[in-house]
Amino acid sequence: MRKRLGFVFWVAVAYLVVLALAAVFADVLPIKDPAETFPGTSKQGPSLTHWFGNDGVGRDVFSRVIYGAQVSLVISTVGTVLALVIGGLLGMVSGYFSSRVDRWLTATLNASLVIPPLILFLALVLFLDGEAKRRIFILVFTFVLLSIAPIARVVRAATLSWAGQDFVLAARTLGARDGRVLFREILPNVAPSFVSYSLIIMAGLIVVEGSVAFLGLSVPPPTPTWGDMINKGRTNLDVAAHISLMPAIVMFVTVLALNFVGDKLQQYFEPRESVL
Amino acid sequence: MKQAVRDQLGRIVAVALLATIAWAWFWRPPFSWTFGVLVVIGTVGAGIADGRYALRRIAGVIPVLVGVSFVVFALMASLPGDPAINILGPAATADQIAIVRTELGLDEPFFNRYGNWLGGVLTGDLGTSIVLREDVADGISRSMTPTLQIMAYSVVIALGFAIPLGIWAGYRQGTKTDGTINNVMLGFLATPNFVLAVMLVLFLSIGGLSVAGNEIGFRVLPAARYVPLGEDVVLHFKHMLLPSLALAMGQAAVFMRLLRSDMIATLRLPFIDLARSKGLPTRRILWRHALRPSSFTLLTVVGLTVGLLIGGALIVEFIFTIPGVGAYIFLGVTQRDFIAVQGGVLVISTLYIVVLTMSDFLYLSLDPRLRGREVGARA
Repeated sequence: MRKRLGFVFWVAVAYLVVLALAAVFADVLPIKDPAETFPGTSKQGPSLTHWFGNDGVGRDVFSRVIYGAQVSLVISTVGTVLALVIGGLLGMVSGYFSSRVDRWLTATLNASLVIPPLILFLALVLFLDGEAKRRIFILVFTFVLLSIAPIARVVRAATLSWAGQDFVLAARTLGARDGRVLFREILPNVAPSFVSYSLIIMAGLIVVEGSVAFLGLSVPPPTPTWGDMINKGRTNLDVAAHISLMPAIVMFVTVLALNFVGDKLQQYFEPRESVL
Repeated sequence: MKQAVRDQLGRIVAVALLATIAWAWFWRPPFSWTFGVLVVIGTVGAGIADGRYALRRIAGVIPVLVGVSFVVFALMASLPGDPAINILGPAATADQIAIVRTELGLDEPFFNRYGNWLGGVLTGDLGTSIVLREDVADGISRSMTPTLQIMAYSVVIALGFAIPLGIWAGYRQGTKTDGTINNVMLGFLATPNFVLAVMLVLFLSIGGLSVAGNEIGFRVLPAARYVPLGEDVVLHFKHMLLPSLALAMGQAAVFMRLLRSDMIATLRLPFIDLARSKGLPTRRILWRHALRPSSFTLLTVVGLTVGLLIGGALIVEFIFTIPGVGAYIFLGVTQRDFIAVQGGVLVISTLYIVVLTMSDFLYLSLDPRLRGREVGARA
């Protein structure tokens, strides 16, 4: 059977690309100012001038969703990339060097999983006071902390299976050093599972960021975030549901698209491990 | 001892452990008692169920617990700002600050403070909350009830969806039914629980969207408030339904996907063909013969998701204004009450670790094929 990614896959990819581009170029695109209040439009439903309607104080929901994407995407991308580098390295080292190193690393990583993520996050939030920059830093730091262990575990499993293969033995017989074997022989083989898994991790981080923002603990107010918009919209849920609904739909579609693309890529690269 | 006897005993021990924890949370005996009972049952269980492996696991848990308590304490101790000023407000005089600092033991060296705190924790004293002026252990065990209820209900709901759907999708693998179930569940998997909660409130409790004067939705369930079980059973479940559903559907998707793939593997085995050739009805084959061997992974993962559920419970408690432990910690965080936060995080992590370890034991006692092998049950 020929491998196919399917039509829906490309739709999902296109959506993600468009969303990312919109977020990156939000400042130059012809959309409204997310902070501007349009008089007399408070709680107005979607219309031609305001595609997603207006929120409780008359701000344009569409442009706020786009600007909100900046926060979600930046934090989750930076978090995922850092976690990939650190977690990937740890996983490869742990899977390649056997016994003692492996045992210590695995034990430490397992131990790091015993504090439930959101609770750990709350404990860390106590460290931040107001300041937006520091808050973003702590957010990213926590997200990296949260995603290292799962990534390292996946990479370790993949490394273990590749390290036993004949070509690795061949490389070592030819006198290649550990570093070379790891980066030139094993990394290219492990990379696919890395990448597809990282998309799923990223989706998870968007959800965590959303939850944190929903609780009002993410980037502070003047900057729009999806979670905060959904939370603030709740007060008008009975009269103007779109204020919560629109960012919720965008967030749902984004997370769904990321999960879907990650799933499909995983199946594409490793058909056998596609069960979960 | 005979293996069959061991199996039964192992199960009894697992149930006893669960019962002890439930007893500890609902009747609030001193922590030291609970701790003692847990140690006794755990050791006995370890001896019976699978001697050396279980003992090693329990021995491994202790350093983790100590490590967690240390990390939590160190985190809270390194918070910027003087807690004494937080309590007294910025207008406090130096004398007042000094008194409060001595009261909180803040002037002692770090390790002494940690030792004192840990000693207190072992005897069930988590300190006194700064803001609420109340015993933290009391506060946590009070707020634990709603949280445990939500978690229990949502696991039941999730399994109620996941088991039939997983069996059916696995049986009809590759068909349209399978595809539909999978896609719908993927949708639930991608819905953050706070989004689902808001949607549930919108469509089931406040009448939904109004399009051209017509409501698309219902007003059947209350959207907020907590009614204790002892006060009014019907109202209690009515109020708990939406929060539990919001928490359950994501889990249902995870469970269903797991069960489905295990079912597919099981249904390929020869004994299923045998059952079929005996002429057993399909329903009986699926529920009686195939479900049990397919459910091991599912059961462990149910244990694993407790951590996620606690995080989710926090959000759900926030939305539905339920005074649970998540809300307790959240309040502590927003009011910079580090003693409450410290206690809450410690209790929750401990609970999580205990559940994880127990789910490993349960796994061993359920699946005889794994005995004698090391199981890292965290798949």
